[in-house]
Amino acid sequence: MSINELVIFNYVVLWGGARIRGCIRRWRQPLRRGPEWFFNVHVQPGFYSGEGKKILHSYWIRMFLPFAVEVPAAVAIFVSGQYLNLAWLILGIAVLVHVNHLFSVDYAERQARRFAAPEDEQPVSSMVLSLQPRRLRDYSNRTVERFVIFASIAAIGWLARFYFRTPAPNFRLIFGGPMVLLYYQLGFLIIKMGIVSWRTPVPQAQAEEHLRAREEARKFYLKVCDWNRVMIAGALAFCPFILSAPTALQTRLITYDFIALIGVTAIMTVWGEVGRNKVLKSSLRARPMRMPDFLHADNSSWPLCYQPATPMLVIRGARGYSLNLANRLALLGTAYLAGLITLFAILRAIH
Amino acid sequence: MFLTVNTNDQRSIYQQIADGIKELIARGELAEGTPLPPVRQLAADLGVNLNTIAIAYRELQKEGLITVKHGSGSVVASRTSAEREQGELLRPLRTALTELVLAGFSSGKILDIVAHELGTVTKGSNK
Repeated sequence: MSINELVIFNYVVLWGGARIRGCIRRWRQPLRRGPEWFFNVHVQPGFYSGEGKKILHSYWIRMFLPFAVEVPAAVAIFVSGQYLNLAWLILGIAVLVHVNHLFSVDYAERQARRFAAPEDEQPVSSMVLSLQPRRLRDYSNRTVERFVIFASIAAIGWLARFYFRTPAPNFRLIFGGPMVLLYYQLGFLIIKMGIVSWRTPVPQAQAEEHLRAREEARKFYLKVCDWNRVMIAGALAFCPFILSAPTALQTRLITYDFIALIGVTAIMTVWGEVGRNKVLKSSLRARPMRMPDFLHADNSSWPLCYQPATPMLVIRGARGYSLNLANRLALLGTAYLAGLITLFAILRAIH
Repeated sequence: MFLTVNTNDQRSIYQQIADGIKELIARGELAEGTPLPPVRQLAADLGVNLNTIAIAYRELQKEGLITVKHGSGSVVASRTSAEREQGELLRPLRTALTELVLAGFSSGKILDIVAHELGTVTKGSNK
């Protein structure tokens, strides 16, 4: 099997499977709490036979919007024969699907609030705050961290040695891939920071159920990040084997590496689905409640705002959610994206 | 370890937080050396301005109930360092007792109330 065939297999079978599963999950999501609910909004009886039907249908249509980008892009890649670009397409579409989903759910919920059961529309008056500090180190698995650090240092050390011992070394060939992998590793650490600091507003009623649901979700998504970090570290540790192998063997080793990657991705997908279902079940035990808005951020500009005194990454305003650019995570994320573009520009320029 | 914040409470949010932490310390649920969450975490969870929580922490620090170490966060201080003059501590009690007397409560009733409140505050405490 050639690399191109493996990339096509990955796109059609694994990505295609994940997309179908994701579509089914998002299709069912508005009704997962039963016919009295629309996502987390407790609606009035008859909602789905009236205006709710329209709201639900427009949500379903918006759910498929990413296909309007993906299908033409995939066709262009298949026609041009640049199959390796499928990997970039997957990355871009994965981000687009999640962003589109977040905005679609928020928009649909805001539309449905007009038909919400009046007794559930009042924000709760009592909130519970956990005094347990949440730090990244409290949610880190030592074995994973040791493996990632050891594999990364060993691989980079070996590559540096290889670079200085090679008569006419090609910097991009030796360090290009590993640098991108290390940068992805950093990206997952930033995502982990975001998950740990993910705010947990809890109503006093059913406080335990809400806290348990939040903690289970937090731990699950942190585990997903750690799985990805282990995979990245594993791929990085494999680089020296590929570079030190005879040229004839290199293509075969890259193929094996790719097959292993696809295998692990398939296992992770199954594991992820099982974990996601557990998180979902746990979240269904906690009845959604409206939290009081202490900020009253009606003036926060949409979709971006700058509020240094507000600790949240995303602020709810009159027109929906705004990304708070003064937040540390927003700054880190922006710097990360700028760094990623710079890294690719440097790698393109250097030989 | 939980704090409750109520929007119907007449006290401001920072006061509710400061009072809540004080009660937990009094009951012994927050022992000496226990780390408290960073200001940013509490403010984000509650959805309030950073200053709201910072003021509550500053009040607790001023009263010697917590110590703030830059870089490592806030921890519950030792009870000995929180010792204050008896006169200063008795002032709010005297004000509250005056209010009760003016409201027409008898001495016996006031004693019952004080005993009940003391029981609530020190519930779980072994001191």
